[in-house]
Amino acid sequence: MLTELLLETPTKVSHGGAPHLLPTRLAIDELRARADVYRLLSGVFVEEPSAAFLDALRRPESLGQLAEAGLRFDGDFIEASIDVLVEQLAIEYTTLFANSGGFPPVESVRLFGRFKQEPNFETMQTYRRLGFVLHPGRFEVFADQIGVELMFVAELLDRSAAALASGDAADAKRLEKEIKRFWVQHLGRWVRGYAQLIERSAEHSYFREMARFLRGFAAEEIEAMELRVEDADQARLVVPKAEVKVEFNPDEPVCNGCVSETIERQGGAQTLHDLR
Amino acid sequence: MEMPKVTRRTFLKVSAGSGAAVAAAPRLLHAMEADLGGKDFGPVTMAERKAIPINCHVCNIQDGAIAYVENDRVVKLEGNPEHVSTRGRLCAKGNAGMWYSYDPDRIMFPMKRVGARGEGKWKRITWDEALTELARKLDAALKEDPNTIMLKYGRQRTGGVIDRFMHTLGTATLLNHTSVCESSKKVGMEPTWGPDIETPDFANAKYVLNFGSNILEAAYFHNPLSQRITEGRVDNHMKIVTFDVRLSNTAGFSDEWIPVHPGTDGAVALAMGHVILRENLQDSEFINTWTNVTVDELKAHYKQYTPEWAEKISGVPAASIERIAIEFASTKPATLFTYRGPAKHLYGSYNEKACMMLPIMTGNIETRGGYCLPRGMGWPQPQPQPPKPAHGSYLADHPDYPLAAHKVSHLVPFWIADGKQKINVYISYQDNPVYTNPGAMAVWGKLFKDEKLIPYYVSMSPFMGEETALADLILPDCPYLERWEPESMPNSLWPWVGIRQPVHKSLGESRENRIMMRDIIWKLDPDGKRGMKKFWNFKDGEDYMRHHFDNIPGLKEAGGLDFMKKHGVWPIYGKLDPKSGKVVDKTGREIKAEYGLFKKELSAADMAGTTVDGHGTIMKNGAAIGVRRNGRNYVGFPTGNRVINVRIDQWAEYGFNPMPTFKRIPWHETMKEDELIMTTFKLNVHKQSRTAAVKWLAEIAHSNPMWINQATANKIGVKTGDLVRVESKVGYLVTKAYVTEGIHPKTVAIPTGFGHWEYGRLATLKLKEKKAEYSHGQDDADLNNVWWDDKGVHPNNIIPAVADPIGGSQGWYDTVVKVTKAGPTDKYGDTQGDWEKHYAAYKETLRYAYTGDLHRKMHPEMASWAGPASVKHKTGGGH
Repeated sequence: MLTELLLETPTKVSHGGAPHLLPTRLAIDELRARADVYRLLSGVFVEEPSAAFLDALRRPESLGQLAEAGLRFDGDFIEASIDVLVEQLAIEYTTLFANSGGFPPVESVRLFGRFKQEPNFETMQTYRRLGFVLHPGRFEVFADQIGVELMFVAELLDRSAAALASGDAADAKRLEKEIKRFWVQHLGRWVRGYAQLIERSAEHSYFREMARFLRGFAAEEIEAMELRVEDADQARLVVPKAEVKVEFNPDEPVCNGCVSETIERQGGAQTLHDLR
Repeated sequence: MEMPKVTRRTFLKVSAGSGAAVAAAPRLLHAMEADLGGKDFGPVTMAERKAIPINCHVCNIQDGAIAYVENDRVVKLEGNPEHVSTRGRLCAKGNAGMWYSYDPDRIMFPMKRVGARGEGKWKRITWDEALTELARKLDAALKEDPNTIMLKYGRQRTGGVIDRFMHTLGTATLLNHTSVCESSKKVGMEPTWGPDIETPDFANAKYVLNFGSNILEAAYFHNPLSQRITEGRVDNHMKIVTFDVRLSNTAGFSDEWIPVHPGTDGAVALAMGHVILRENLQDSEFINTWTNVTVDELKAHYKQYTPEWAEKISGVPAASIERIAIEFASTKPATLFTYRGPAKHLYGSYNEKACMMLPIMTGNIETRGGYCLPRGMGWPQPQPQPPKPAHGSYLADHPDYPLAAHKVSHLVPFWIADGKQKINVYISYQDNPVYTNPGAMAVWGKLFKDEKLIPYYVSMSPFMGEETALADLILPDCPYLERWEPESMPNSLWPWVGIRQPVHKSLGESRENRIMMRDIIWKLDPDGKRGMKKFWNFKDGEDYMRHHFDNIPGLKEAGGLDFMKKHGVWPIYGKLDPKSGKVVDKTGREIKAEYGLFKKELSAADMAGTTVDGHGTIMKNGAAIGVRRNGRNYVGFPTGNRVINVRIDQWAEYGFNPMPTFKRIPWHETMKEDELIMTTFKLNVHKQSRTAAVKWLAEIAHSNPMWINQATANKIGVKTGDLVRVESKVGYLVTKAYVTEGIHPKTVAIPTGFGHWEYGRLATLKLKEKKAEYSHGQDDADLNNVWWDDKGVHPNNIIPAVADPIGGSQGWYDTVVKVTKAGPTDKYGDTQGDWEKHYAAYKETLRYAYTGDLHRKMHPEMASWAGPASVKHKTGGGH
């Protein structure tokens, strides 16, 4: 798998203390499910998708689950031959993420307008502190590239699941704090706005839908972890009026009395539970 | 003990009486800005930042600099106080250099074109894929003819790598950018005294003549020389007179600004020479001893160039010419400087020659405060080296321009279109002719888009410039802060050698040029059986540098590469005095330059096995090594006969006037009343084409209204800010007017470096066009505040090709235009050039070549020349 190439754990996770007597199966499953989604999204954005990755994604069971989550791929993804699809997505990936004038999926660029700024250094420090080494995949990648940041969280979730499975709740708690800190310091500051930008800019339904998925997933994660973090990516701040959908009369006085579930779900925002 | 009673009166008294003691008291705390530099601290952590000495390469002045690195990124750039030329100062461009590395539009991976050329569709590929494809194309080209592989570079400071690469391939089709830069200045100077540039000793001069150089802002060596010219002006009370069509900041700084009709500087200089010789103010001993003419010959020749003659041509009053000539010749020491003003014309070489004759005839050569030879240093190349190509290239050594030693690259598209030489693979390195050359998109854009003329085009570039956008394959080069390169520039009177070293690992998968080229060769010759690989036997850039720096005598003993990595420059002549800004020795005195280089005497060992001919030329092993004068053996000047050649015999071989002369541009003589001459110029914060995406610089200057004289503007009813339509014989553009008294009434001027249609979102202001989609950098107050929405208008589409038949220079300042108030359908930024019209202009300029039908007409004084068939030497001159 792609993700295995990029983030390597040189040391085994240490499990302090005795195994927990009553690990909650549900919690472990949730951690692993979340890790899978992070890995999936990392695979989408970290580099051009391989034929194996796309083949796996286009299996009926995968497509079914993604459809359940609200992802609506067009024929360009569903019907194209695998060779054509790989080529088309490599070109689209270059246009969106690697070419001049595109949108580098890199936190430094999104927040500071330049490559290799503080987020790059900070993320690298964090990876090192927690025992990770960044290796290139098919291409070199920045430490604050979206795919790497997502992959990092996936690794922490796996470690957390392993800690719970071995009864080390303290370690799981520590890892949870690391994940939350990473979201507040990094992913939460840019990923929602950036995902929306890609959703709007992508020509291929694969990147459009995956970006939509990323946005929804990010929103859900932030909410589920009860984090308060403003998205500083400017792309999110400007939403064309045509894209704003309301289920109420905007001329009515606002009472702040109720929150509509349908409003939460409309506009393409997907929750984590949709996937499950 | 009783407290002393201190009133204002008493402490003023104490202060007055204790000055010496106060001065002697220890001072430990200094204002940071008054400190010497060379150190920097993070404002938050207060930790000392890592300081890496480098050579700046935003432009080509090559200032000594220091990159301060914090958290593995460059956070600040400043001057290197150990650098003898730039003395710790760095210009605005140099301060902004880190933007190249971190530019969000930087290309960091090989990319292959997947749509039509220029369509903008790319696919990222691996280096191995890229090198495999390129090697296949090169291999096929090599089988047909190595010369079908062409490389054209713009700004290359690789220290010999490009030549090594092309020689390894066996191709001679190596082109530079010099004909759009300064080649006629070089060719005016080289056959005369050897080197291609002068080093004016401004700091010690008493009088300076400045012809067409904006030295305080943009001309060659503007940082080190602007320091010296300021010292000369302030400390030495020198007088400076500037001849320029435009009131540049240098002209404004001068004692006198003389607006001169474009392209006529040479006539003014000749007339000044006439006055000097007529008044017997020349240095006869110098002329008779060190040049190949006598004073009498010179006087006879200059008799024709009267101030009245020059006034009619240049518009400069004869009385001014008389006065300034006498001032210049009677003030010692005096010097002169030129840049593109005189040289970038149809007969730019003649103009340059005419100008440099003034310090020559007054004996101000190699004197303190005079007009000095350049000082540079070299370095040995790694061995073995590939041999030079077996066969010459038509494009690189065009037979119609045999004296153009720096080539005529701006005519290459026309020659390729004419089928003069077939190209299979075209490689560009730091060269954007689609933007920088005459005709721009109309000429070079057309060439690159034509897959029959250029079947395969590879751009080695970190940025999507106008040329790279038309490539088939992009190989991501490194910006200068990530490269290893040796460096030396004659930008002061002290020779030095410097180093550019990476401040951190290159971003993404960028590879510096020497590594890229090594990898191409290794791909072509993986097992060494083709005999190519042996020339590329180095591990990395640092290893390559070791071959250079560990083998320079003197530096080797000081530590070689290790010394260079630590200091960035060698030798270190002294310490920078923060008070005077000068480099001083241990006693606190300013270090002295060495003068009179040509008067160095040859040793007995040098003289062993030599012969001396009738002119005193000392020959050894078939080469002139010196000249005998008054019984002494001097090293002389680095020319073929070791003296200054006022008369260039080689020029006469081709029917050009060998003596100082002036040729008026024919189409300037026949201009109509409503026609003007369009010139261009550079601003202090931009270079030719690669700074528009640097945000700090773009904020300072981002648009380029056309300068037009008040009287001229009144005639056509134009005010500042009005749209004007500027029409030449090859196209038109629509831009804004800037009405000013600071320009010659018959001239308009447009700054270059603006109006990009490629080069990233800031240069093209695409982030303004689609703010919501493209904006980024919320935490960056500068980027979030790109308040301007005018990117300027690029003028090159409407500038036709002109080639100096001697030096090969583009005549940038020869374009005749008609300026009118813009019409209702004209929009700001409209620009159009026409290939057919540009092609016709190219054909027209060929007529002035020595093989052309207008050559003889332009040189009636050479009536005895027997024509092109009589030419014996087919190769060019110069160095």
